[in-house]
Amino acid sequence: MDIVIKRPKTTLAALIASSLVFGCVFAKPDMYGNFPVTEKSYSGKKKDSTSYTGQVARHVLHNSLKKLAGKGNGNPNPELKATMMSYYSSKDAGRKIIDPTSKGEFKVKQTMVDEISKGKNLKGKTYKGLVNGFPGQMSGPEVFEFLIDKASSSNKGFDPVTGYNYPQLISKFMMGAVFYSQAVDNYLDEKMGADNKPNNKPYKKGAHYTGKEHSWDEAFGYFGAPAHAMALNAKQAYGIAKRKDIKVADANGDGVVDLKTEMTFAHAYYAADSDKAGTKYMHTIVDAFIKGRQLIRDADGAALTDEQRAKLMSYVKVIKTNWERVIAEAAFKYAGSCYKDLEKLRTIVESNGDASKAFAAYGKHWGELKGFLMALETSGRSLGEAGVRMNRLVGYGPVLLGGGQVTGIDSDGNFLIGGNRSMGEYQVHMVKLQKLLGDTFKLKARKNDVTGEMDDLLKSLGSSRAAEND
Amino acid sequence: MPDNAIQLLLNEWLLAVFNPQKRIFWGYLLSSLFIAILWLRLIQKINIQSSFIKIFNRNVWGSASAFADYKVMFINALLMTLLSPRILAKATVAYLIFDSLHLLFEGRPSVLTGIPQWTIALSFTLFLFILDDFARYWLHRWLHAIPLLWSFHKVHHSASALNPFTVFRTHPAEAILFSVRSALVQGISTAVFFFFFGNQVTLVMVLGASIFTFAFNLLGSNLRHSPVSISYWHPIELILMSPAQHHIHHSTAEEHIDRNFGVALSVWDWIFGTLCHSKVGEQLNFGLSGTKLTNPNTLKSLYFDPIQEAGRILLHFANQLILPFQRENSA
Repeated sequence: MDIVIKRPKTTLAALIASSLVFGCVFAKPDMYGNFPVTEKSYSGKKKDSTSYTGQVARHVLHNSLKKLAGKGNGNPNPELKATMMSYYSSKDAGRKIIDPTSKGEFKVKQTMVDEISKGKNLKGKTYKGLVNGFPGQMSGPEVFEFLIDKASSSNKGFDPVTGYNYPQLISKFMMGAVFYSQAVDNYLDEKMGADNKPNNKPYKKGAHYTGKEHSWDEAFGYFGAPAHAMALNAKQAYGIAKRKDIKVADANGDGVVDLKTEMTFAHAYYAADSDKAGTKYMHTIVDAFIKGRQLIRDADGAALTDEQRAKLMSYVKVIKTNWERVIAEAAFKYAGSCYKDLEKLRTIVESNGDASKAFAAYGKHWGELKGFLMALETSGRSLGEAGVRMNRLVGYGPVLLGGGQVTGIDSDGNFLIGGNRSMGEYQVHMVKLQKLLGDTFKLKARKNDVTGEMDDLLKSLGSSRAAEND
Repeated sequence: MPDNAIQLLLNEWLLAVFNPQKRIFWGYLLSSLFIAILWLRLIQKINIQSSFIKIFNRNVWGSASAFADYKVMFINALLMTLLSPRILAKATVAYLIFDSLHLLFEGRPSVLTGIPQWTIALSFTLFLFILDDFARYWLHRWLHAIPLLWSFHKVHHSASALNPFTVFRTHPAEAILFSVRSALVQGISTAVFFFFFGNQVTLVMVLGASIFTFAFNLLGSNLRHSPVSISYWHPIELILMSPAQHHIHHSTAEEHIDRNFGVALSVWDWIFGTLCHSKVGEQLNFGLSGTKLTNPNTLKSLYFDPIQEAGRILLHFANQLILPFQRENSA
């Protein structure tokens, strides 16, 4: 399916005007798209070789699955489970878009998954390796099927016995195990090889795009940024995912938000979230995607030379490094949230208050943290000792009010809970985890940094190195 | 040498004269000069010309002892830049304490949240200053009392002409001890206050230095090592260490040995019985009274004599340890 991104002058003028109203100026009006057809064997009428609708369809399946994961009523619900599975593993026609849908003035163009791309599922693209950090020694698809089963019988996605929040666990891990893994461990990895999906052959027989063009597009699609991301600041890109401002999202000015090109999904949303704190992850990644795509386009349907491939791989490196940081920044943020939640819970418990809401919030944040950490290990790059330490610090579940924690899964698929870890000890784990993430991935946004102000205070004291006598 | 090491070398050592966190910051040198002139003019009734001659005494600033100070300062700057990454860091201490407090209190209690922020900031700044001064007193006392440590500290006491740069006449082994002391004091203070008061804790600063350190240095800390001996009124000398009291600490006179270990505060000497008041106009000789260095103004002697002596002490100690076993075997 082809995409044509229109750039009428009036639309751009409207975009600029609206951005000025909202206190920003477009730095670079570059867009991802409108790359001409260079595939020599193609004789059809299509003019634009850009294509990543399959990826957008999977973003929509993921968003919808997350919504469904929060629909349970606390009892086994085979019907809900079947619906969830249809969004995860089937390729059936007729699946509605449950999220994102229209909200007030924010009108979404598509209402059915098939309007974006037909016959897509998530299971087929799920990371097949062993999932580190999750009990039960399961592969990626097994973990999702297990979580979907549990979510369908939970009460609105939350299990107070384990502290598990299924929508968050499913969503955050899926962004890694499908989108990130596919992009960085497939399309930007082996498919960038000289002989794999070469640029002088169509991606598949009859396609209007070359092997390299489409591989690159698919990786971009999985990142989840709107095609006009370079014209948006972090707050605007973030706001699109929240369905806040149609003027910012509607780049072609047709009055509706086209999910294929105008929506912010998945890690692009988290990149924008970090960037609100001063980083430039979204623009760095999208800029590298645009430059890489332009390089492929400039090859004009010929196989890439070694020099061109080397340059392209430099863009790949930028994308992979920053994408990994985006996920690590999100994990860092939620480790800080868990730390604060534990502080709140302590206060409530000490005053004999009702801790149920605070505990649910803690479970939600823990689910996000865990999901992002599991996602980090699906890139094909071993995190080595850092990965082991991350998993040990977080464990298989949030530390519960009584000190217990999920320790495993029995042969019937029931969670085992054991151990006696204090909340104070788990807070220390969150501090250590933030330090580990910050050091390992050289993080900059560092949202919810528990010890950031202590570090600043230490710096303000000056050097403790002294060769001065008394 | 990596870039950050060069930056450290410049900022922390070679450009110390521009760093208000360091005692030899130009502003403190200038204020010390001003105080010295006032003292000589108003109290000792010496005219301006004679005052300048006394302050910039060629026999002090141009002495072999002073030249040894200058050379040691630069060599130590290089050595400490290389050693710094391997010495206990204040952040390591702070994280260890911060983590341990979570275990001790089974979480992080929110206490006294109604206290105004400035009170917490001032308390932290004062606590840090007092703990630092207290730690300095005891480490200094041990440097004199423990023969192994004294073998290194005697490098500082081998100065026979005191000038503000004598503060840098330090053996590297001693500099490591000072660095560990600072790391412990800063790490502990910061972690404890941050644990209880979070982001309300800040350092009350003037020109980027703690207000108390700033005041101590502005009020003539450089005169502790100088040709000008300023005494305080005796009741004040019970609390604050006068430059003349520190001169007594450097004196070779029998009655002055192991007196006045304090830095900014003399109250520790008062409490622990090591205080000695100054006497206006008292003539003192500076240097070592007991075992001397072979040639106290040569770098070879300043750097290697202490190592030899420390080696002898350690050997003797080892012999003492194995002696009972040797006797047992021979029996």
